Amino acid sequence: MKLELKKISKFFPGIKALQNVNFQLKENSIHALLGENGAGKSTLVKILCGVYQPDEGSIYIEKKQKNISNPATSLELGISAIHQESVMFDELSVMENIFIGNHIIKSNKLVDWSAMEKKTKELLGNLEADIKPDEKIKDLSIAQRHIVQISRSLVHDADIVIMDEPTASLSQKEIDELYSIIRNLKKNNKSIIFISHKLDEVLEVCDEFTVLRDGELIKTDLIANTNKDQLVTYMVGREINQIFPKKLVHIEDEIFNIKNFYKKTQFKNINFSLRKKEILGFYGLVGSGRSEVMKTIFGINKFDEGEINFNNKKITINKPKDAIKNGIVYLSEERQNLGMAGLMSVKDNINMAIMDKNSDYLILDKLKDLQNASELQEKLNIKVSYWSQLAQSLSGGNQQKTVIAKWLSTKPKILILDEPTKGIDVKSKSAVHEFMGELVDTGMSIIMISSELPEILGMCDRVVVMYKGLIKDILEVPNTSSEEIVKLASGE
Amino acid sequence: MIKLLKNRDFILFAIIIFGVILIGFANPFFVKPSSLSDVLTDTSILIILALSQMVVILIRAIDLSVASNLALSGMLISLLSTVYPELPVIFFILLSCLIGTFLGILNGVSIAILKVPFIVTTLGTLSIYRGLIYFVSDGKQVYSHEFSESFLALIHYKFLSLSFLFWVAIAVFIIMYLLLNHTKFGRNLYALGGNPEAAKYIGINENKYIILAYSISGFFAGLCGYLWVARYSVASTQIAIGFELTVISACVVGGISVMGGVGTVVGCTLGALLIGLIRNALPAVDISQFWQLAISGAIILIAIIINTKTEQRKDKTIMVE
Repeated sequence: MKLELKKISKFFPGIKALQNVNFQLKENSIHALLGENGAGKSTLVKILCGVYQPDEGSIYIEKKQKNISNPATSLELGISAIHQESVMFDELSVMENIFIGNHIIKSNKLVDWSAMEKKTKELLGNLEADIKPDEKIKDLSIAQRHIVQISRSLVHDADIVIMDEPTASLSQKEIDELYSIIRNLKKNNKSIIFISHKLDEVLEVCDEFTVLRDGELIKTDLIANTNKDQLVTYMVGREINQIFPKKLVHIEDEIFNIKNFYKKTQFKNINFSLRKKEILGFYGLVGSGRSEVMKTIFGINKFDEGEINFNNKKITINKPKDAIKNGIVYLSEERQNLGMAGLMSVKDNINMAIMDKNSDYLILDKLKDLQNASELQEKLNIKVSYWSQLAQSLSGGNQQKTVIAKWLSTKPKILILDEPTKGIDVKSKSAVHEFMGELVDTGMSIIMISSELPEILGMCDRVVVMYKGLIKDILEVPNTSSEEIVKLASGE
Repeated sequence: MIKLLKNRDFILFAIIIFGVILIGFANPFFVKPSSLSDVLTDTSILIILALSQMVVILIRAIDLSVASNLALSGMLISLLSTVYPELPVIFFILLSCLIGTFLGILNGVSIAILKVPFIVTTLGTLSIYRGLIYFVSDGKQVYSHEFSESFLALIHYKFLSLSFLFWVAIAVFIIMYLLLNHTKFGRNLYALGGNPEAAKYIGINENKYIILAYSISGFFAGLCGYLWVARYSVASTQIAIGFELTVISACVVGGISVMGGVGTVVGCTLGALLIGLIRNALPAVDISQFWQLAISGAIILIAIIINTKTEQRKDKTIMVE
C-alpha cells in the first residue's frame, strides 16, 4: 500500500467537509476520486498537499504514519499535485516553473540555469511535448501547462501524483496524449490519484475508484467491478434529507429571453427563456460557463453577439446599472468579495444599491434608509443585534440574506442567484429556499445557478444544463432525474 | 528586432540615450563626460535604493520607510563619529548598515508576524524613524567640520574618473543581479510575488521572505545613510525627506510591477537613471522648478499606464471551439 488515509475528518464552521473517510492508494495504480462538487474531493487533496491539516484521523505513507504539516513536507514525502486552478507562475519561464522550489544549485550556491535548461529539454522531450524551456507560462495553452505541471512532479521525483480534473479544458487529441503520459507514469512505478467528472474516461484510464458524497466515503472498489450507471448512482444517490419547500405557483407567460448569446472563448449558442414566476435552474460543472453567462446578462462582462429581450422588447445592457434599471439583479457566488461590504453595517449594506432613491438632493434620507432596512430584515428574518452591526460579523446564512435584501431593495423582476446556498448550514439553506418560493409568488422570476442536484430538483421548474460553454439541454424538472442531468453535464 | 522593440528594458535604454542627445542640443555643456559623470554620481544613491526597494515590491509590498531609515542611520553614525572621530570609516559604514537592517527587520516582523498591513507599517515607521532623529539629535545638525577627515575622504575617491558613489552603485547592481537572477532566494521572491497561493504549494515560507526582503531594503537604506551624509557632509533632521517617493517612482518607471513578481534588475536601474537624468537635466535646460515636478509626475504616470496596459492578463478559456 502506497498511501493510506484512516478515518480522516475535516470540519469548517458549519460544514463537515470530510467525515471518517478512509482511502487506500496501491502502488502502480491509477485511482479515481469521484464525487459531485462539494463532495469533499478538494478538501482531501488539500490535506494531502499539506494545505489543510485534518482535524481527526491519520495518514500513512508506505505503512509509516506521517504528519503533513505544510506543503513543503508534502513534496518531501513525494506527493505532487497537478491542480485544477492555476498554481503556476505566469510570469516565469517553463523551466523555472518546473524547477521552482527545487532549483539545481551549482557548488558556488548560484542557480545552474544551463543544467536546468538541459534537464527541461530532456523531460519535455520524453513527454513528446513541443514546448520551449524559456517560454513564459502565460503564453502556453492549458494542455501545455498540464505537461509542465507533470514535468514538475517528475523533477520532484514524486511517487504519488494527484491530478485534479486534468482533462477539463483539453481537446480530444490533447486528452489522448495526456492518457498516454498517465499510463507511462504508472509504468514507472508512480501511483496516481485521478479526479474527474467524466465517467467514461475514468472507466478507460483508472484501475480503482473511491466515491465521496457530502464528505463521506460511499464506495471504494476496482473499476472492473463497476459500470457508469452504478458510479452515477454512488455519486448522486443521496436521500433527500433536506426539505425543499417548493411553493406551488401558477407560472405565467414568458417575460425574458436570451437569443444566440456568444462571447469568445466563454460561451456560444446560448438560447433560453424565462417565464413569470418561474424558477429556472442552471446546472453544470464548475467552469462550464454558467456564471459567465449570468455575469454577461448582468452587464459585468460584454458579450460579442446575441440579444436580450425583456417583455418582448430588446434591451441593451452595457453595465450593471442598465440591468438593475431593467429589474434584473445578480447575486454573486462570491458574496464576501463581490456582494457585500463586510466592514459596513448591515443597514448600509441593505441600502447600498438604492442610495440615490433614498436621497433628496444628494442628502441621504436616514429615515427612508431605516424603514427599508427594517422592512426587509423582518421579511427575511435576518438575525441582527443592532443596526450598525458589521455585515462580516453575521453568520453565513444571514450574510446571504443581507445580500438578497440589498437586491430586493431595488424591487427587481428577475433575480439571478449564483450558488445561493453554498457554504451555509442546512437551516439557513431551507430559509433561503422558502424565501425563494415566496418571491416567485409575488410575481418575480428567479434564475438559480446551483451545483447541488437535490436543490435543483427540489426548487426549479426547469433546468438548463451547461457543458463547456454550451447549453446541452433544457429539461422539465419533474420529468428528469439526477442521473440524466449528471450525464449531460459531463458532456454526454 | 521586433522582439527587441517589445523589450521594455531596451525601450527604456533607448529613451535615456534619446533624452541625453536631446538635452545635448539644448545645452551642449550637459553632455560633456564630466557632467554626465556627475549625473551618475548624483543618481547612485537612487539606484541603490531603487534596487533594494525592488526586492520588496516584487513580493507585492512597498517600503515607505527607506528615506527615514536612511536618515536615522546616517544621523546615528554622524553623532557617533563626532564623539569617536578616531574610529575607522569602515566601522561607521558597517554600523550604518547594521542599524538599517535592524530597522528593516522591525518592518518585516510587524508585517509578517503581527500582520499589520505593509502600507500601515511602513507609513508608521516612516514617521517613527524620522521622529527618532529629532530625539537623538535634539533637532541639531552635524556640520561638515564636525566629521573626521577619514569619514568624508572615502566618498571623494575616484577611479577611472568615476566617483566612489557610482562604483558602489555598480557593486550593488551586480550583487542584486546575481541575487535575483541566480540564487534560489531571488527566484523564490519572483515566485512568491507572482502567485502567493502557488508559492505556498511549493513550500515557500512567506513570512521568512517578507522579513528577509525588508531586511535587505533596510540594509541598503543603512548603507545609503552613510553615503548620503558623507556626500553632503551634513546630517540633519531633514535629509532625504520625501526621497522614498523618488525611489518608488524609479521602480515603477523601471517596470517593476506593483502587482508583484514582475521586473528586472536592469529595468529598475534604467528607471533610476531616467529619473536621475530628468532631475539633473531639467535645471540644465532652464525649466522652472514648477515644471520639473509636473514633468517628473507625468513621466511616472505614463510609465504606470504602460505597465498596466502590458500587464492585462488574458481571459480564462472555458469553451473548446
